[in-house]
Amino acid sequence: MPKLSFTPALKRFFPDIKEAQHAGNTVRELLDNLEQEYPGLNSYLRDETGALRQHINIFIDQSLIQDRIHLQDQLKEAEEVLIFQALSGG
Amino acid sequence: MSPEELKRYARHFVLPEFGRAGQAQLKAAKVLVVGAGGLGSPVLLYLAAAGIGEIGIIDDDIVDISNLRRQDLYTDADIGRSKVVAAKERIQALNPHIKVNIYQQRLNIENVLELIAPYDIVADGTDNFPTRYLVNDACVLAGKINVYASIFRFEGQVAVFNYPNPDGSRGVNYRDLFPEPPDPEAVPNCAEGGVLGVLPGIIGSMQANEVIKVAAKVGEPLAGRLFLFDAAAFSTRVLKIPKNPAVQIQSLEALATYCAVPEQDYQEIDITTYQTWKVNQVPHLLVDVREPNEYEIHQMGGLLIPLGQIKEKVDQIPRDLKVVVHCKSGARSVSAIRILQNDYGFDNLWNLKGGILAWEQTIKV
Repeated sequence: MPKLSFTPALKRFFPDIKEAQHAGNTVRELLDNLEQEYPGLNSYLRDETGALRQHINIFIDQSLIQDRIHLQDQLKEAEEVLIFQALSGG
Repeated sequence: MSPEELKRYARHFVLPEFGRAGQAQLKAAKVLVVGAGGLGSPVLLYLAAAGIGEIGIIDDDIVDISNLRRQDLYTDADIGRSKVVAAKERIQALNPHIKVNIYQQRLNIENVLELIAPYDIVADGTDNFPTRYLVNDACVLAGKINVYASIFRFEGQVAVFNYPNPDGSRGVNYRDLFPEPPDPEAVPNCAEGGVLGVLPGIIGSMQANEVIKVAAKVGEPLAGRLFLFDAAAFSTRVLKIPKNPAVQIQSLEALATYCAVPEQDYQEIDITTYQTWKVNQVPHLLVDVREPNEYEIHQMGGLLIPLGQIKEKVDQIPRDLKVVVHCKSGARSVSAIRILQNDYGFDNLWNLKGGILAWEQTIKV
């Protein structure tokens, strides 16, 4: 099971979220499982069609996910899933 | 280089990887710094000190007291002055051997290509997504290197985009990371979400480091990689950014709507007129849509309803009286007015042009 990591922006809205291992064979399964634990997380990360929102992206280990729409990237061998978001400040 | 310059840059000359050749490259370099705020401050100071031959600064803002906590380019005496004018004075005083060009305007779809044309490198330190996408796409179209940095709260990001590969092609750009621009309203900016004062100093210095490396052709630039910094946890990461084959930037037209200044669909009152309302005791209510911490610092006696609470506190806003809405400089108050007009049918609202900043400026004079 990959370890979930995230940049601090998520913590702002989900203060209880923990960097821990979560089950899921694909990114989509992982996010669906996370939703059970942190209700509302998915609507922050994904739009109404289920695709990642424009300002969100996900690394699986050292690779950016390929499928932002259906989130079918595989997590079988993954050690870490990092969720991060675009920052606009200067 | 003059004898004075030889003395000034002596510590660069003794760096074996740098030497006089590296310094000569810096002197020949032309860098446009977009945004003279939190990131722009350290970037401009270090680029000027390092001896970048020609520096352009673009920003349409004026110096506000709330800037001084992190924008160390400016002093108390600069409050109310044009940022680009004050910035030029400051960095020209630091290094008189460089040329500084200033542009007191906002980048837009019409002027961006012309403005970046004379420069080799663009350092993006803006504070909003539309300008970031505009800078990115213009750099790709014009073949300029984009040294990018951004910050929010405790987080920072740095990358070098559109860097030339040995085969002549160009490296990844911002859209390889975030292909489509987000709704600006979906992501809060530093005025609403806050930013740690020292963070732009850290991230801006890293941005300056990349500009200097790229200009001097020294070291390994942060091209094709993204640096992430979390100041709260003191954690850093460097991640590879792959090329996204679906990303095609062929013109700026795609950004026309995203970057357009929306047509004015609200009534506006300037400070002078507002003063006459007050003098003549025109019945009205003033509503302040800033955050409570901003209100504590300075206020004009308005009813505090932060923008984020406007919907739940809509009942506090009268419909049978003139209502003047203000914020720091007039942007959030327009958002509030749009919500109240479009979702609740208000037609008695006026935006205070320039916000409390403009009011303080006028009162000062």
